[in-house]
Amino acid sequence: MRQVWVAAALVGSLCVLAVGCNNNPYPEHDAELKVLYSAFSTPHRSLDPAEAYNVSAHRVTGLVYDTLLEYHFLKRPYTLIPGLAKQVPTAEPLEDGRVRYRFTLRPGVNFAPDPCFELGGAGRVTREATMEDVAYQLMRLADPALNVQVRDQFSNIQGFKQFHRALIERRGADPAFAALPAREQYAALGGVEGVRIEHPHALEITLHSPYPQILYWFAMEFTTPVAWEAVEYYDGEAGRERYADHPVGTGPFGIDVYDKRSRIVLDRNPHWYGLADPRAPGAHYPEEGAPGDAEAGLLDAAYVGRPLPFLDRVEFRLEKEGIPLFNKFLQGYYDSGGIIKESFDQVVQSERLSPEMAAREIRLQKAVSPGIFNLGFNMEDETLGVPAGDRGRKLRQAMSLAVDSEKWIELFLNGRGLPAQTPIPPVISGAPEGYLNPYRQVDLDRARALLVEAGYPDGIDPATGAPLKLTFDAYEVSSQSRPERQYFVDEWRKLGINVELSSTTYNEFQEKVDRGAYQIYFWGWSADYPDPENFLFLLSCAMRKSTTGGPNSANFCHPGFESLFNQMEVMEDGPERRAIIREMVAILEQERPWIEIFNGVGYSLAHGWLANVKPFGMSYPMTKYLDIDPVKRARVRLSWNEPVVWPVFAIAGMFVVGIIPGFRTFFRERQ
Amino acid sequence: MAPHVLSNAIVLLLLVAAGFALRFVRGNRMWRDALAQLWRRRRGSLLVIVAFLLVGLLDSVAWTGGQGQDALAAHEARTVIDRLFQGDREASYSAPLADAAFYGGDPLAAPGGHWLGTDILGRDVLHRTLKGARVALMIGGLTSLIAIPLALLFGISAGYFGRRIDDAIFFLISTLASIPSLLLLIALIMALGKGTWQVCLALGITSWVGLCRVTRGETLKLRELDYVQAARALGVSHGRILVRHILPNLMHLVIITFVLMFSQLVLSEAILAYLGIGVDGSWGEMIDQARNELSREPIIWWNIAAAGSAMFTLLLAVNYVGDSLRDILDPRTLRETP
Repeated sequence: MRQVWVAAALVGSLCVLAVGCNNNPYPEHDAELKVLYSAFSTPHRSLDPAEAYNVSAHRVTGLVYDTLLEYHFLKRPYTLIPGLAKQVPTAEPLEDGRVRYRFTLRPGVNFAPDPCFELGGAGRVTREATMEDVAYQLMRLADPALNVQVRDQFSNIQGFKQFHRALIERRGADPAFAALPAREQYAALGGVEGVRIEHPHALEITLHSPYPQILYWFAMEFTTPVAWEAVEYYDGEAGRERYADHPVGTGPFGIDVYDKRSRIVLDRNPHWYGLADPRAPGAHYPEEGAPGDAEAGLLDAAYVGRPLPFLDRVEFRLEKEGIPLFNKFLQGYYDSGGIIKESFDQVVQSERLSPEMAAREIRLQKAVSPGIFNLGFNMEDETLGVPAGDRGRKLRQAMSLAVDSEKWIELFLNGRGLPAQTPIPPVISGAPEGYLNPYRQVDLDRARALLVEAGYPDGIDPATGAPLKLTFDAYEVSSQSRPERQYFVDEWRKLGINVELSSTTYNEFQEKVDRGAYQIYFWGWSADYPDPENFLFLLSCAMRKSTTGGPNSANFCHPGFESLFNQMEVMEDGPERRAIIREMVAILEQERPWIEIFNGVGYSLAHGWLANVKPFGMSYPMTKYLDIDPVKRARVRLSWNEPVVWPVFAIAGMFVVGIIPGFRTFFRERQ
Repeated sequence: MAPHVLSNAIVLLLLVAAGFALRFVRGNRMWRDALAQLWRRRRGSLLVIVAFLLVGLLDSVAWTGGQGQDALAAHEARTVIDRLFQGDREASYSAPLADAAFYGGDPLAAPGGHWLGTDILGRDVLHRTLKGARVALMIGGLTSLIAIPLALLFGISAGYFGRRIDDAIFFLISTLASIPSLLLLIALIMALGKGTWQVCLALGITSWVGLCRVTRGETLKLRELDYVQAARALGVSHGRILVRHILPNLMHLVIITFVLMFSQLVLSEAILAYLGIGVDGSWGEMIDQARNELSREPIIWWNIAAAGSAMFTLLLAVNYVGDSLRDILDPRTLRETP
């Protein structure tokens, strides 16, 4: 009978195991801490603030690196506030069209503790950041050795391009020079002319021509103070990491564990300037917000005016697949998450959270993203474009009137979009407010009348006697995305226009574009910074695809629009600029180089214990404003993840039943 | 010449060819017996194939004129099948035989009129499925038209003439056979561009090798037979021997391979559609489009179900007929059959 006892012990221990374990992936002792858990899907290639240029990397670098300017957490349209700088500078016009900005650094800005600071003196673990560190980073942006994707945007700084070229030349000509540490190379070349340090806390940036949008770049990590010690110490040799894998900054958090194949842990930076100076605009919770924020609980008295950050720790985990990530979110192991396409209808029902989700106190956040998707006409085309004169314009207007973008959004985006009226998304400061584009409201009768005026009655081209034939060039169209394009073709069919959907490979499409042999295309653009200029430049002469290879694939070049654009480009935001933008939009309304389709609306989910969630739309992490109720989280997680024990017993039972005949045979044979 | 005129002419040509083929079969005892036996064994499958052929032909006969679904349709050549399904375009999804739209529940333009529902753009699924039959038949037929002559030409010359020619052809075959066929297909389609002809050409180039090996082997055997030797001794020209003695004795192989290759080709196209390089309007494309619909909640099943069962039915029938044909025509099994 001993075997029976062994089997019983086995079953018993299985039961104990089943009851005692759970699926919590985190250590028990962290349960009481305010730890924010989120996920990343691919290891970051580089966290160097000069190189990192994607949403996923910014979610880490944005916590480690502070910037001179920041965006207001709540206000929309987006508003700049001082960060490390004492105030947002204004442009000072200089002689011969140059412009100067003066930044003043707050006192007491310190780097997060790191062993690299030993380079500056034995025993040192941190030091105060100065404008030298900002200037150093600006020079790094010009350094050809780094993969800087936004170098062009800084080229308005006087001497920036020259510095870039000088580095290339000296390094090529002089191997001894190239072997020096980068910092000494920069010093030997005398730095960038337009970047001047008056004293350790004052920086002057001189632009050779006006570029008001440069301030937005001072709110991105590209212009953060960077410690030369960190860059030189973390050189990837002798067992040290690369700087790209070991960020050291002045931000509210510092890297604690960086294992890019599994997890990234950030701890509070004990030397963060905000701890000593909680009244700084970027160091406490804002007192005012956008309309609707108070109702949404974002101006809770428990938070307003309180010093940041609220979290103790931020932890990112590698999560390669969407479905497990979403399941872990539903189990409470991630605090916020997106909605995967597969379960959209399960989570969101008629634009609201499903009752099942709402019962879990999950909140749905919607935010219009600063981007646009549009159909474009090639304005150099003989039939559709400028060469066709008034006929072409009327044809474009008619085609614009026929496309119902609301239904398109409904069908293909689950309603996650806003029908666009202008190229400028409504969340951008300076976008015309309350404007409805008369050519973006579906009106087939008017469209037909316009076709008659254009000389294509019922879509018949008098030259051939057959329906007007156009081509819609769509590249890399999969079977799934084909109906998304076919929809537009079907809309135009209602007018009697025969638009052929030509799907090609990307290379073939590029070739067509190079030859100018395309008529209609579908395209999208996402903002680098929240300024109308970042959208309207897509229609400026200088960006024409046909002449400069720029992103203006419509090849739109309108003298009136162009002169307004040149005026607008160098103006600061204000009523005058807005008036000009209105005029520009009015030109686009008539000219119709684009059929604006939609601005995306991002849906995200957050659990009830996560406070102060407001989607931002652009790639700036607002993590320092978040707060967590760890007690509630721990309790809810337990109740959502009660182990289901019966399958263990069932399997054990089946096992026992299964071996009984064996035992019986065994005993019988022995007798 | 407008494409629909060409298409109509081809249909006419096909019908005439079919008439001649029937006359030939009736006049030839062996073929007549084979057909009669096939009819006895696989009546259902044959009827299914004939039905698909009929749909394919009806979808190839087109003319302009008449009122259509929208302003443009009146100027387009529409086929008989198109004309059966006009004027009931919906806004979006609707379930089979439903009275209301699937999302939102708006009333339909043709309540209860869509036997297999409508797709995301509101197109009738039955209509699309029937149109897919023509595409499937075209893929099978056109590709066979490319592959079989190629295979016969190379196979017979390799087998009959031997030596250097055999070496060269066998080298070509082995090379082609050792390239992963999917890779070759993708490369060919990338080079040729997308479209029905291009896909058929690419499929043809990759699928003749099998038949070529078989014909080569068979020709090797036939070459040594007494009557061929006798013909050669009498000084009959090579061309005449090939046409009179070799080719007719390969015909049963050609027919069996054609039927079996056909189903393989239709399936290959579905895989190509999955890779995004299929033919517009094919069942493969419909299935590929419906991939994400299956993960919707509530599930939208009628697109994939319609295309999938149409493909399944056709291929099952073709395979049944192919198997029976092999039994009937293969000389080794010829005598055993009652």
